[in-house]
Amino acid sequence: MFTLQDMDTSSPAIFVNGESLQMYVGKKVRSVVQVIKSDGGHMIGKSTDEHQWTIKGLSSAPLMSYVEVIGVAESNQSICAELWTDFGKTFDAYSYNQLCQLANGEFKALFL
Amino acid sequence: MFSSTQFDVTSAFSGGGFMPSQSTQLTDSAPSPAKSRDSQGLVPATVKQISQASHSGDEKSSFVIDGVDVTNVTVVGMVFDKAEKVTDVGFIVDDGTGRIGCRRWVNENFDTTEMQNIQDGMYVRINGHLRSFHGVRQLLAFSVRPVTNFDEVTFHFIDCIHTHLQNSKLQLQGGASIQSHMVESSVNTPVRSGSNGNQTSTSIQLSKQYSVDGLKDCDQLVLEYLQQSSSMGQEKGTHIDELCQQLRLPMEKIKGSIRSLEDEGLIYSTIDEFHYKAT
Repeated sequence: MFTLQDMDTSSPAIFVNGESLQMYVGKKVRSVVQVIKSDGGHMIGKSTDEHQWTIKGLSSAPLMSYVEVIGVAESNQSICAELWTDFGKTFDAYSYNQLCQLANGEFKALFL
Repeated sequence: MFSSTQFDVTSAFSGGGFMPSQSTQLTDSAPSPAKSRDSQGLVPATVKQISQASHSGDEKSSFVIDGVDVTNVTVVGMVFDKAEKVTDVGFIVDDGTGRIGCRRWVNENFDTTEMQNIQDGMYVRINGHLRSFHGVRQLLAFSVRPVTNFDEVTFHFIDCIHTHLQNSKLQLQGGASIQSHMVESSVNTPVRSGSNGNQTSTSIQLSKQYSVDGLKDCDQLVLEYLQQSSSMGQEKGTHIDELCQQLRLPMEKIKGSIRSLEDEGLIYSTIDEFHYKAT
């Protein structure tokens, strides 16, 4: 039976890039990374502003693909992934990076 | 369909530049307050914006986002908890800013087929009717389409920001009389100083990439410059070379804007075809 659930904005996933990840350590974040290397149980990826990140809990993502990761920021360069989506090999990282800046800056109220 | 207070996603793609029908409509009536009697087309919104929308109060029972009546919204997010029933399919959409319940009535085969392709964890574009049922806001979806090109996700959020900017500016302009007859809600009125959303380099870059307002921004810049020059009493008008230098825009764009503005009757040539003044 489909129960009528009210809207829930209590746990947003914040748009982050390399520059902004450090502001949200311990919080739920989302970002797109390009897969550089898979290393055991985690992945080394490049953020949309060229920072190198470690993504834990993500080992099977296709190399060089852009992958959206949603999870908890563990440090200023690692995320513990809960969900991920393959965004393919042709993704406009530049625009996404600009969106991160806008969503964290002037237009934060539309997102958080 | 075109009105000063309407931002329609489809019109954004129907080519930049001036649409004569738009400006004719505006000059017919005095500048109206931001709220329109008719709801807008399909408004891009984040779930967060929807949660903060107020009720519009009239019998249409629509919502108000940034001072504008909204009934139909477009949302991009992930599907969760899909539950199929005989008459409808229910699911939750999570766009990263929040979660909202959705329902799709399955009356035609088309509806059933479309919903069968939707799985939990999939990114989708939902177009639907925003309504409140027993105090709970939900989306009555009439279109649910899987996202295949993920630039659409980036685009959608930028679209939300863009629409928010346009509607917020409309709110600020309100009932104040506007000197120019420019249609664009993103117009830079001479009154407002300081940075303006459309004028930051970031948004100009973004709008170039998505080919939405490229030409319109240029038209505004040219018109403003000419209006300022006119108010300083330059009788012979401004040479297009000066426009090119001062605005740092390519001559092709300047010439294109001059043509459009002249067609609209907003500027005219003075001593020769290189000098222009604002009307």
